[in-house]
Amino acid sequence: MALLELKNLTKRFGDVLAVSDFTLSVEQGEFVSLLGPSGCGKTTTLQMIAGFETPTSGAIILNGRNLEDVPARKRGLGIVFQSYALFPHMTVEQNVGFGLEMRGVAPAERAGRVRKVLELVHLDGLANRYPRAMSGGQRQRVAVARALVIEPDLLLLDEPLSNLDAKLREEMQLELRRIQQEAGVTTVLVTHDQSEAMALSDRIAVMQAGELMQVGSPFEIYERPRSSFVSTFLGKTNTLAARLEQVTPEGSLLVCNGVTLKGPPANFLPGPVEVSLRPERVELTDADNAVVSGTVSERVFLGNQWLSKVNTPIGELLMTRRNRGSDEPKPGDTVHLAWSAEHLSILAADRSRLT
Amino acid sequence: MRRNGLAALLFSTLFVVFMIAPLVVVIGVSFTSTGYLEFPPSEPGLRWFRAILTNPDFIDAALLSLELGVTSATIATVLAVPAALAIGREKFPGRDVLQSLFLSPLMVPTVVLGVGFLRFLTLISMNGTLIGLALCHAVVIFPFILRLSLAAIVGLDQSVEKAAVSLGASSLTVFRRITLPLIMPGVCGGWILAFITSFDELTVSIFIINPSTTTLPVKLFNHITQTTDPLVTSVSTAMILFTVCIMLFVNWLYGLDRLLIGEGSR
Repeated sequence: MALLELKNLTKRFGDVLAVSDFTLSVEQGEFVSLLGPSGCGKTTTLQMIAGFETPTSGAIILNGRNLEDVPARKRGLGIVFQSYALFPHMTVEQNVGFGLEMRGVAPAERAGRVRKVLELVHLDGLANRYPRAMSGGQRQRVAVARALVIEPDLLLLDEPLSNLDAKLREEMQLELRRIQQEAGVTTVLVTHDQSEAMALSDRIAVMQAGELMQVGSPFEIYERPRSSFVSTFLGKTNTLAARLEQVTPEGSLLVCNGVTLKGPPANFLPGPVEVSLRPERVELTDADNAVVSGTVSERVFLGNQWLSKVNTPIGELLMTRRNRGSDEPKPGDTVHLAWSAEHLSILAADRSRLT
Repeated sequence: MRRNGLAALLFSTLFVVFMIAPLVVVIGVSFTSTGYLEFPPSEPGLRWFRAILTNPDFIDAALLSLELGVTSATIATVLAVPAALAIGREKFPGRDVLQSLFLSPLMVPTVVLGVGFLRFLTLISMNGTLIGLALCHAVVIFPFILRLSLAAIVGLDQSVEKAAVSLGASSLTVFRRITLPLIMPGVCGGWILAFITSFDELTVSIFIINPSTTTLPVKLFNHITQTTDPLVTSVSTAMILFTVCIMLFVNWLYGLDRLLIGEGSR
């Protein structure tokens, strides 16, 4: 049985449908991210799990118990807020010990547990500091420690890394993953940052306009997006409008701007579709093996890779190539491009045609 | 960096002079040794400061004003903090009306308030009592505490309270352990400002005091209507000194500009 089950969760604010019929199960020990642009309902979903918002309909079931009549303070969840929400007038030790104090844990045991969790987040020795005397990354760790010390069934992270600078954020991603795995706590993360979701999660639930678009492992979602929204929200991609002509168990044939392309087997009926092609799957080849040929229009050097734009008969294609220290085609050069058929993802032009 | 033009500088200078000049004159006159008001004093001395000590009336009035200020500021604080919490946090119909009502003593002329209080206190037979006086002062100074408490509450990150709730704290515990300590500087600032306002409140008090509850400002006013000796200036100087000390303390505690301009404008 899943640890957390969200069943047909719906939240309406007046006329606005913030979350619509959201169903998701989270297994014990799993790290699941709710990923989506701002206003997609991911934070509202988290607030409902936490007990700060009441669902309009649907159920939240934790450990087999319906949380409907359980107030926020009795849910026993660990929450890390975007602003960290540390108590500014308390030391690190008092901040972290607060949840234990509320549970009536004796001071001696409290001190021991606080020390242990501060070791887990690598903050030992800073117990007597005040939050204002700490860096953003350190405050972040205090917030995580404060949520973990009560040994919650479920840890909720609300955009926990968005206030950190880019370099620190990458470090903290690895740290968060390590802490989560060492503590073995089931975690739900809310984020709009796809790289954060991919780096941390076992599974990602992509949301748009209050609806769940797709759930799966980061690899699955990146490789097999089921809609153009998911394919463009996770990483860069080329989205092409095409017509599906023929479907066989071995593969499919697509026509895009008069060019015939081979595609993977598809679950669609022939008709208009969208096709997604990741820029890193586009390769340079010679004229004989080319799927399309075109002219380089722009080229950007990104250090570890080159990003080029190529004008082709099927449209403008983005191409990324690893920097191997050799020269790359320059703007104006004619290039021949190829990719294997299975690297095209065929997407429903609209959701109703999903099978 | 000078961004102000000559005219603006001149205006500001005149404005400050206009504000400060009366204080300078009062303080100057208080150091005279003559029996009449004289500025600048030809023979400086502390004669009129010694005279305060030989006038127990003034000392009694000062003590009464002190007691009144503490009582009324405390009453108003106890009432204003919950009101500020409701107005700053909750959304309910009539919230804006309620806020305007609570701030209205700032806008109603104090003479009108004084007449109203007089009628009301007479009606409930509390005219001339210290507690009646304290309640009336509490109404007058309520807006100061409400505004400062409100600024502190609105400036408080609500997720801090949510965090405490998620860790198992009841509403009362959240208020006692989190909210109140965090808004304390604002509340204290409001209390002190309210205390000062009550301490030198004259207009309302004139209507509702009796000889046994004469406050210091009323005593000074009565004195100056009968005689014009420099005693009033030495008492005034002592009051100015007292107020300045409190203001310095508040500035150290909380920052005066934040207090008077409000949190949001920083």
